Amino acid sequence: MLRISDWALTAALFASTLIMGGGAIAAEDIEQKAQLCATCHGADGVPVDKKTPVIWGQDEGYLYLQLRDFKSGMRKSDVMGPIASQFEKQDMYDLAAYFTKKKWPNLGQPAAPSDVAAKAESAAKSIGCRGCHLDNFQGDGTTARLAGQWQEYLLNQMLAFRDGSRGNNPGMSDLMKATPKEDFEPLSKYLAGLQIDQYLGHGR
Amino acid sequence: MGSCKTAATIAGALALSLAGTTLAMAGDETETVATTTTREAPVPSVTQDMLSGAATDTQNNLHTNLNYEQTRYYQGKQINKSNVEGLRPAWIFQTEVKESLETTPIVVDGVMYVTTSFNHVYAIDAKTGEQFWHYKHKMGPVTTYCCGPNNRGVAIHGDKVYMGTLDAKLVALDAKTGSLIWETQIADPELGYSETMAPTAVDGKILIGTNGGEYGIRGFVRAYDAETGKQVWNFHTIPENSVGVWATHDATGKDMHRDIEAEKAALKKLGDPYKTLGGGVWQNPAVDLETKRIFFVVGNPSPDLDGSIRPGDNLYTDSLVSVDLNSGEYVCHFQYIAHDVWDLDSVSPPILVDVKDKDGKTVPGVIHAGKTGNVYVHNRDDCSLIRFSEAMVDQTGMWTLPTPEGAKMLPGANGGVEWSPMAVNPDLGLSYAVNLHQPMTYHVESSPYPGGKLWLGGAFKVIPGSEQFGNVTAVDYNTGKIKWQKKTPLPMMGGALATAGGLVFTGEGDGWFRAYDAENGDVLWSFHAGAGVNAPPAAYSVDGKEYIVVGAGGNTQIDFKRGNNIIAFTAD
Repeated sequence: MLRISDWALTAALFASTLIMGGGAIAAEDIEQKAQLCATCHGADGVPVDKKTPVIWGQDEGYLYLQLRDFKSGMRKSDVMGPIASQFEKQDMYDLAAYFTKKKWPNLGQPAAPSDVAAKAESAAKSIGCRGCHLDNFQGDGTTARLAGQWQEYLLNQMLAFRDGSRGNNPGMSDLMKATPKEDFEPLSKYLAGLQIDQYLGHGR
Repeated sequence: MGSCKTAATIAGALALSLAGTTLAMAGDETETVATTTTREAPVPSVTQDMLSGAATDTQNNLHTNLNYEQTRYYQGKQINKSNVEGLRPAWIFQTEVKESLETTPIVVDGVMYVTTSFNHVYAIDAKTGEQFWHYKHKMGPVTTYCCGPNNRGVAIHGDKVYMGTLDAKLVALDAKTGSLIWETQIADPELGYSETMAPTAVDGKILIGTNGGEYGIRGFVRAYDAETGKQVWNFHTIPENSVGVWATHDATGKDMHRDIEAEKAALKKLGDPYKTLGGGVWQNPAVDLETKRIFFVVGNPSPDLDGSIRPGDNLYTDSLVSVDLNSGEYVCHFQYIAHDVWDLDSVSPPILVDVKDKDGKTVPGVIHAGKTGNVYVHNRDDCSLIRFSEAMVDQTGMWTLPTPEGAKMLPGANGGVEWSPMAVNPDLGLSYAVNLHQPMTYHVESSPYPGGKLWLGGAFKVIPGSEQFGNVTAVDYNTGKIKWQKKTPLPMMGGALATAGGLVFTGEGDGWFRAYDAENGDVLWSFHAGAGVNAPPAAYSVDGKEYIVVGAGGNTQIDFKRGNNIIAFTAD
């Protein structure tokens, strides 16, 4: 496994290649573009680092919006910013459509123990997480799937929303600020441990 | 598949206990888009005369709320107080979508058109529950919606059915085959626009509003040409001058604790916030055919809880509004809560009914149930308020201002009465509303307009461990007094149907669907549907036999158990 510094360096290298390559990337097909993503997000859909999110099987609108926001700087990332800056709107749509069709990988994270799950359920009900992320935390459209995501990534993002360092969804920041800090660990463990394959496929 | 297992379970149960009941379910359809036609439906021809006469039509259910007046008062008496205890399922149709159901079925000449979450439409034989066709909307990648992927139903006109979609389109389908005839992009979903309400068909127009009050939209109600899908008129629910009169008290005279001086300073600094002020419209307008005016209610301002960056009354949020049917021009409005910072807005559809004015004279009225938990009674001429009802729910602490730490106030942000439509029994002079009691704390945070992202300006937080419940309440709209009230174990969301048989039907989040005595609230019949009954019931008849129909799919917004059943009941 790459250390985080190596990982960032590799990504940045790819980004600079892109920048230097300029318009050439636009002519390449979606598979080639997706190979770049695999560097960090995993060739088999399992990210190489637990701070990097699963994007295989993620909701399409959500993936598109994140790329859009990385490009605009609304979501800040030294790694994703330069990469997304090379994409036109259609590239973002294409990549989102490509990755949403992939099967979400099973990361093998354990189901949360009942006391942790109960605490997480209480926190989720209090601010109405399922109102947007839906019944099984599968998300939809521009709302992210949370179920089965890396626990460390989930925890980091909730805290980043809370302290404003992730600034591309003020509604989420507000909800995280209204959530007691001690609830984030149970929430992240609970969500990370959910296996929801059997519930997918209804509707959309 | 979970749905098939459920079907088998229900089929087994019915075979044991319900002789003569048939069970129909959607087949194993693997397409991701478009229409599956099992067999063509009889071609309807829904004329304007039929739509206008829906109030006395006991065969069909032509409108989401039964008639243009939206009374939800079904004039059939075959199912009544004396035989309702024998009500039983005639059929159960299982949709492909196991997700929140807020839909009201439309029925024409024995064919039912019913929608689900994610914009599926089914045409079903209303007598047997067998499928004619199934339309699955090809959803765009970007959808931005609050409170679940709901849809509240279709409108019908001529030989077409009409539906608004989560990706902010209006689609027209061939009622015979379910094939798409036209679609119109109403607004940009990337900016927070979506459609969950059922449209209304009238005089060759299709009327529809928009969701998005949680995303900084500028709300509207529009008319589209029923044949072509071209826009006929647009009414902005937020005028360019949204400031108003700096009202300090709500419609019931309670002080809202506004800091008018601070707001005036903010107005000077920031200007009028109308471009991102919200004002979604969640439910059908009522149509006054005599005066050719429509009446609808407008939802909350954006951001929900932070008033500091949207100075003024925020017109016409939290208001009853009337506009001209032919032109869309403003006629009158009445604002319940100026500068709302609690999301206790106006969502339940208004009802046109004759009411007593303050002098006891009968006048054309409009009534609306607020998330505040009050029923408001208006004069239809000028939208003025005649009276408001006793509070149907606890309003302790109203209007405590939100704080960063969270301030407790009742009712919680879901109401009172949410989007759930009321029903009325005009003979008894009663309106029937379903309410929530959900204690919450209101938190405020400030952030600039985020370009179509969730923009609450804080948070509403259910207080963990607090007792929650609901009620069904009958209000005498000529006096404002509560005639009867029945407590329910869970907060109520779904809506009511009243009938000339002396009954009121409504469902609960734990799966119970009940009939109440319209006069005193006694529970006369109950059926457990296996999932939350959070959709408004409807009634119709085929071959002289009456049916009550309701969706049991649970609810996303308050997280009640999901299901996928459309259940039709008969009494013999």
